[in-house]
Amino acid sequence: MHLSTKQDAADKPVSRRQWVQVLKRWNCRLHYYLGLYLLLFVWLFAFTGLLLNHSQWRFAEFWDSRRQTSDERDILAPPPGGDLAQARDLMRQLGIRGEIEWTTTRNDAALFQFRASRPGHIVEIKADLARNKATLKRIDLNAWGVVRILHTFTGVRMDDARNRRDWVLTSVWAWTMDAVAAGLILMVLSSYYMWYELPQKRRLGVIVLALGFLSSGLFCVGLRCFY
Amino acid sequence: MRDLHLYFGLFISPFVLVFAVSVFFLVHNWLPKAVPNPAGARSVSDLPLPANLDQLSGRERIDTLKPALDWAQVHGEVGWIQHLAKENRLVVPVTVPGRITTVTIDVAKREARIEEQSTGLASALVALHKSPGPHLVGLRMNWIYVRVWYWLADATVYLLLFSTLSGVYLWYLLRSARRIGIVLLAAGAVSLFSLVHALVH
Repeated sequence: MHLSTKQDAADKPVSRRQWVQVLKRWNCRLHYYLGLYLLLFVWLFAFTGLLLNHSQWRFAEFWDSRRQTSDERDILAPPPGGDLAQARDLMRQLGIRGEIEWTTTRNDAALFQFRASRPGHIVEIKADLARNKATLKRIDLNAWGVVRILHTFTGVRMDDARNRRDWVLTSVWAWTMDAVAAGLILMVLSSYYMWYELPQKRRLGVIVLALGFLSSGLFCVGLRCFY
Repeated sequence: MRDLHLYFGLFISPFVLVFAVSVFFLVHNWLPKAVPNPAGARSVSDLPLPANLDQLSGRERIDTLKPALDWAQVHGEVGWIQHLAKENRLVVPVTVPGRITTVTIDVAKREARIEEQSTGLASALVALHKSPGPHLVGLRMNWIYVRVWYWLADATVYLLLFSTLSGVYLWYLLRSARRIGIVLLAAGAVSLFSLVHALVH
């Protein structure tokens, strides 16, 4: 009994050390494996963020070179129902896929207007349900337009409660954005642990990290206190 | 290379957190409602307004209004100014991350009514994520701090790109992790391209 207690005491630090080693190893793995999986997603969002802030860059111009076409098509008036159900019915008849966006308030039950969009393609639909006709105005963008829209394609807008995500692929893309953001947060946290495990780099690391936190904190909180 | 990866990564990490955390608010449209200043609106008179204010527009008008805004002790990035011609009033939105101030200027009386709304930390993160953004190119960055943020946001992207490239190099040196790494890199590429393909086509 006495011997066994002594043995337990001797085992404890060993098992703790082992546990720390396992944590270290898995933290490293998490950092580079997650980083590798997210690499292209991070490049996409980082690069398109740069494009959004530099709309003057001519090489990435997409709006002036858009292709527009108009077309009138026969439709069958959708059965009575909500706007979303009617819009989906019309899109099915017209062979259009995408996120529905309400552009105007519907005042006349016979006239129905909305926009269906997906990265690189926007279709304005004006349906005259009394005449069973729909006018389609289609805008197709180049590859720069596609990548730029991917950055902001969430199906929702701040201060606009009417527009909600209604296309399954928009939801999938929104979850992807969440996952990339969560992955980046995990990578940052794992990098802090990896850095903390390097005692000789701690001092300079603290200075650099403090500089980063102070400068970003100035913008997040400081400016509103100073001004 | 290892040291540069570490220190550049540590410096940009708080900025990466700002951009990553704000994604959840932007994607899900979650923002707490703005809270008006409990002290209520305040008024300022004797504003130093130029005589030709009604002939100005765009960035020129913002630059001309800056002394009046300083006089009213309102600082921040000026947004799109609404001109109510009939009433000869200007409605000037001024933003600091986490706060929106609406300054309504009565041009004839040289008076202003100032209403402040606190929008909170989440809104500050969202404002910074979207700042300066692609809109109002001629008007934006009229406050020095927004210009500084623009440089910092760019620097974050460039340093993030450097960190990812140096990270790939450092991973490639680890022979034991190479095979799984290549599989994950390929899996990431396949997921991204199939998603984008499904969205676009």
